[in-house]
Amino acid sequence: MDFIVKLASGFTGLFTLGGEQFMSWVSGIIPTILMLLVLMNAIIALAGEATVSRLARVCTSNPVLRYMVLPFVSAFMLGNPMALSIGRFMPEFYKPCYYASATYHCHTNNGIFPHINASELFIWLGIANGITALGLDTTPLAVRYLLVGLVGNFISGWATEFTTRMVEKQQGVTLSRTFKLTE
Amino acid sequence: MSKYQSIRVERGAGGFGGPLVITPTEQRNKVMFITGGGTEPECLQKIVELSGMIPVNGFKTNCPEEELALVIIDCGGTLRCGIYPKKGIPTINIMPVGKSGPMAKFITEDIYASAVTSGQISLADGSQPAAGRFADAGSDSGAGDGKTKFNADMKVSETLARQENKSLVTKVGLAAGKVVNTFYQAARDAIQTCITTLLPFMAFVSMLIGVINGSGFGDAFATILTPLAGNIVGLVILGVICSIPGLSALLGPGAVIAQIVGTLIGTEIGKGNIAPQLALPALFAINCQGACDFIPVGLGLAEAETETIEVGVVSVMYSRFFTGWIRVLLAYAASFGLYSV
Repeated sequence: MDFIVKLASGFTGLFTLGGEQFMSWVSGIIPTILMLLVLMNAIIALAGEATVSRLARVCTSNPVLRYMVLPFVSAFMLGNPMALSIGRFMPEFYKPCYYASATYHCHTNNGIFPHINASELFIWLGIANGITALGLDTTPLAVRYLLVGLVGNFISGWATEFTTRMVEKQQGVTLSRTFKLTE
Repeated sequence: MSKYQSIRVERGAGGFGGPLVITPTEQRNKVMFITGGGTEPECLQKIVELSGMIPVNGFKTNCPEEELALVIIDCGGTLRCGIYPKKGIPTINIMPVGKSGPMAKFITEDIYASAVTSGQISLADGSQPAAGRFADAGSDSGAGDGKTKFNADMKVSETLARQENKSLVTKVGLAAGKVVNTFYQAARDAIQTCITTLLPFMAFVSMLIGVINGSGFGDAFATILTPLAGNIVGLVILGVICSIPGLSALLGPGAVIAQIVGTLIGTEIGKGNIAPQLALPALFAINCQGACDFIPVGLGLAEAETETIEVGVVSVMYSRFFTGWIRVLLAYAASFGLYSV
């Protein structure tokens, strides 16, 4: 009998632990993120996609603008996944490269701007929670995440130009390097 | 008469939505699957057999949207499950996922069915109209006649907004109203995001953490994870493994695996088993595969041509593999001085 009681209380204990974890996240994380989300959603709704589209046309010409500045701004303004749609202003050849960079930008900036990719926030938050548990501030980590991300995402985007050339040769196709206006 | 047959798709165990009736036509006769990095889903063969539709592998190629009768996905509930419903294309998710993700509002029972296996596919008996909201319905009737009378169909503010010569007071009023409404809508969207994506994930991971920590499994797991995530060599290895082309697409869906691994590493950092400055390279290591499962859809959002998608899928997977570990090292180099005592 004792054994059964122990087993049952152990079993319930697992879910009590889980519940505590859940409550600490809900009360510790959700309020701040919610307020940030409200502001960011409003900014995006007011400034809108039109601004980013205008910037995109200017940015396609050089690699730094293309893989560092433009994806950063698109991720910030449009979030995941709409940031990826800005690739439509690129010539075909650069679309995979822009994708490679923009998708990473939807993660590396998530530490400071959780609105960018709220549904995949736990990549950042899971690790950041450990820092919080130690009683340390997560902001320095978030800032470095963003800065290393800027450089790293640029490398990833740019390197994709080389892999795209490689795959073009493998598959025997050539993608257009100039922008075509499609109707 | 036709070589195509209508099929009926029901939701599977634990699924959402449906039943859908898919009626392929001469123009709309393709079924595209974007699953498991390009492997065929189990239900595909039966769908093709019964309906006569042409299967298209979304990882290898793309197909004009106006030819798609059906899309099959395996989305864990973050993004993809809403994209095609949003476009009005009937969607089958082989995962048991309901209304979820940023596009949850587009996932409705008349266009989406989940947890589908071949057991849920049958020939349609014609008792239900075909699913799909293809863009051929007429658009709404045009604007009103421009007069400024108030009427029962419009709010006062809407009537005022249609006036041509607005007074200053009206302009200010409308502008303030717009700002307030924008913020209110932003708040509604934010709450929606919390309910549809953040809270469910927190609940799910909390339950996992409770069980892992409470059962002692956590300590066992930590002895495996700590040597891997506790030093830079291990993190680079973790990054390289995550980004192996092909495997990277399998690890991708919903970023669920990366988020769980992240949480486990975070727990170990919190306990002091892993040094806090390694958090930075760890953030990069667990996400080397980032978005490899999403390439066809993402390039589709960028209106890429079919050839670009064929090249892009392989190219992005290669570049993830080549640059993933460089990013981890870069982050390691940048982590000196972070949280040092």
